[in-house]
Amino acid sequence: MISLSDIPIRPRAWITPPMLVLAVLLLAAPNLLPAIGLYQYLGIEITIWITFALGFNLLFGYAGLHSFGHGAYLGIGAYAFGLFQHHVAVSLWGGLLAAVLAAGVAGALVGAFLSHRRGIYYALLTIGFGQIFWFLAMKLHSVTGGEDGLLGIPRPPLTLGPWQVALTDNRALFYFAAVLLMVVVVLCWRLANSPFGRVLQAIRQNETRARFVGYEVWRFKWAVFTLSAVIAGLAGSLLAMAQQSAYPDVMSLHQSGLVVMMVLVGGGLVSFWGPVLGVIFYFVARDVLGGLTETWLLWYGLIFMAMVMLRPEGLAGMLYGLLRRSPPRRPGSVSAAATEAA
Amino acid sequence: MIDLLPHLINGLTLGLLFALIALGFTLIVGVMEVINLAHGSLFALGAYFALTVIAGSWFSSTPFGAWWLSLPLGLRYVLALAIGPALAGLAGMLLELCLRPTYGKLPLYGLLLTFGAALVVEELIRLVWGTGEQNLALPQAINGAFLLNGMIFSTYRFFASGFSIVAIAAVWLFLERTSAGAVIKAGAHDSEMVRALGYDLARLRLLVFGFGAALAGLAGVVMVPIWGLRPHVGVDIVIPAFLIIVIGGVGSFWGAVIAALLVGLAIGITGAYAAAWSTMSMYLLLIAILGFRSRGLLGRKSALEN
Amino acid sequence: MALFEVRNIHKRFGSRVVLENISLSFEAGQVSGIMGPNGAGKSTCFHVLTGQHRPDRGEVVFDGQRISGLPPQRIARMGVSRSFQLMNLFDDTVVIENVMLALPAFRTRRLHAMSAVFSDSVLIDQALAVLDQVGLAARAWDAAASLSYGDRRALEIAVALAAEPRILFLDEPTSGLGAEATRRFALLVKRLRERYTIVMIEHDMRFLFELADRISVIHWGQVIAEGTPAQLGDNKWVRRSTLAEATHA
Repeated sequence: MISLSDIPIRPRAWITPPMLVLAVLLLAAPNLLPAIGLYQYLGIEITIWITFALGFNLLFGYAGLHSFGHGAYLGIGAYAFGLFQHHVAVSLWGGLLAAVLAAGVAGALVGAFLSHRRGIYYALLTIGFGQIFWFLAMKLHSVTGGEDGLLGIPRPPLTLGPWQVALTDNRALFYFAAVLLMVVVVLCWRLANSPFGRVLQAIRQNETRARFVGYEVWRFKWAVFTLSAVIAGLAGSLLAMAQQSAYPDVMSLHQSGLVVMMVLVGGGLVSFWGPVLGVIFYFVARDVLGGLTETWLLWYGLIFMAMVMLRPEGLAGMLYGLLRRSPPRRPGSVSAAATEAA
Repeated sequence: MIDLLPHLINGLTLGLLFALIALGFTLIVGVMEVINLAHGSLFALGAYFALTVIAGSWFSSTPFGAWWLSLPLGLRYVLALAIGPALAGLAGMLLELCLRPTYGKLPLYGLLLTFGAALVVEELIRLVWGTGEQNLALPQAINGAFLLNGMIFSTYRFFASGFSIVAIAAVWLFLERTSAGAVIKAGAHDSEMVRALGYDLARLRLLVFGFGAALAGLAGVVMVPIWGLRPHVGVDIVIPAFLIIVIGGVGSFWGAVIAALLVGLAIGITGAYAAAWSTMSMYLLLIAILGFRSRGLLGRKSALEN
Repeated sequence: MALFEVRNIHKRFGSRVVLENISLSFEAGQVSGIMGPNGAGKSTCFHVLTGQHRPDRGEVVFDGQRISGLPPQRIARMGVSRSFQLMNLFDDTVVIENVMLALPAFRTRRLHAMSAVFSDSVLIDQALAVLDQVGLAARAWDAAASLSYGDRRALEIAVALAAEPRILFLDEPTSGLGAEATRRFALLVKRLRERYTIVMIEHDMRFLFELADRISVIHWGQVIAEGTPAQLGDNKWVRRSTLAEATHA
């Protein structure tokens, strides 16, 4: 089976063909979606969750740290954004900063506690912390609005110097989210392919040996957890803008588990682009299957189970298997195609 | 202090029921090194199957249904106590079959598979039994309340506690005094050795899963009159079960029982002071304990630590 | 003072005393051996020396600095490197990356995102040089998981070498190797001893007696004998125990 750790044949460029494909898709989406019978808002949802999932996969796929409570940071970002608009100022950049900081601090604190653990204890603690955040969101009625949620979150306009762009239109918000997504894509790509990213993978493969060759493993685990929480916070702020509200449900075990499923089905365990495929697949399934049957989530769950049993390399892995013969290893090898386990 | 008594009793009852769930859970984990996130779903299935047995909703319009519903509630309840867990046990065995492709791979895959199974079961429950809250009809004998020393106690909670104690004792007897139980215990320690001794490991695993699932199902039937019966109850319960195992240590019988009582009491007591926060006390307890002893109170090192 | 000194180490797990008053010293430039029957405490001793366990009493001193109680990654960075009996490799990736990860030059790179690590010829050459020492240079770009057992053993050593250690701890390096592979391994150790101070736990008595300058025998958690191979041949404990068979082989 191919893996995230496959060696790149050519030096990893900043911008790669799949990135360009994604950028083009994003650009075309507002026209594409209605053409295939879907709607504008879906594009925003997909963009938000891809952002979330990419950051998440640095933790889940690359570092091999299985967090089942990551929805909490998405939610914290959303609430922080909303609360900033309500209590401090109606400001886009202020809100984004608040979201990123709040989620980042939460992630840093939880990560500090978690990063000494491994295996199932790690996973369980992530669920525990996720549930605590969910509880807080539900119970702190005066702050978060409890079950009813934090409502009336505005979409502040985007101001860059003299320029101002309103984001009240779904199309405009989509483009803004898409730009942020591309920034996150490039950032994550660089990280994944830097020595930092390789060490994360080493920790996944053999934490003991990573320690015995001199790495401060705790620090790496903490850093990647915090980073994934920061990215989740960013996605959360977009979510707050999109929904114009923030609810506790994204912090539930159910939703935290959804991102895990999306990432696995997409192939996040073997490919950088796995989360992208996984998110798109999930939302298409939701809207297309959901149109056919009320129990679409049942079918998605069955598909997920089947994938875990039979094709844990996910969609990306299956695609790779279809398009290539074997992953070449030697640098300077003629089969240029190989850059792409992605 | 006396005001605390009802809450303590509630907590104890809860703890005993938790112990049943946790025992099934820890047996599965012990013999297979798999974390069964669908354990709560098996709990739920036990309860929902019991509901069908008691209320006969699927076949109430048929002649058979009419006859069935004419049977005394007490009889139907007893049958439900047997059939619900049995069917849950079967579901558990089906789950084990699904898990087979993941053996030998990273524990992550087993975890993910059971997670997916939990989702699927919850959706199935919604499909078959509906999304609303349901009620399990209870026979008069164990329902209602009684007066003692000027305080009102719920009859059912006493029944549930007593029943759980008997069930836990039965499980203990089974594990300690029967040869089948001995094999299961041995398997929990060293499944390779059990295989070397000539036992069919595949069959052992299947049986352990079935047994553990049946325990969960049994806990489900007994617990839902207190806990409530809705599709989400499976997920609601797996987290406490999970917590208990980690607090009490993976693979330990008494660790599971003691931790379950602790957790139950914690919920009961916080219920007295800050009812809304009682379930959260579980997570705080988990974090506090894992903060001090990373293997729980009585746990042993296992492959789960990766 | 020796390069590496172990002073009165005492270690227990629960109620079981595994190491009792162990004192050892390893001179720079020498090959030191540790042998003893299974369960004697040899591996635990290694774990204590390299930081995986903290001794209950006593101390471990490396080049004049106390290292007992320090975390293993710090000890590793100070120049103490070890290989494992049950191999610990990075199995999802290729042979050369296993080595590269251990190179101090790589470790300092961190986030250096600008550098495409696998086209950095300086790093690659360093890694290839290490692989060359163990004879794996030709297989640098093969999957680590695809190597034969003997080659994996060699890679296991290579990873330890890559960290540019001043002292190298090898835990049963010939474990599972046949006669031919062991012979080649002995040649490897002879080459390595010119550059590194080596401490080896070994079961293969002949191997150890052929290569080591000094050997310590650990039994029942204590050092029961110590000396050059020649001296040990005459030692009464060594004679008495079943070890005696092999030494006169």
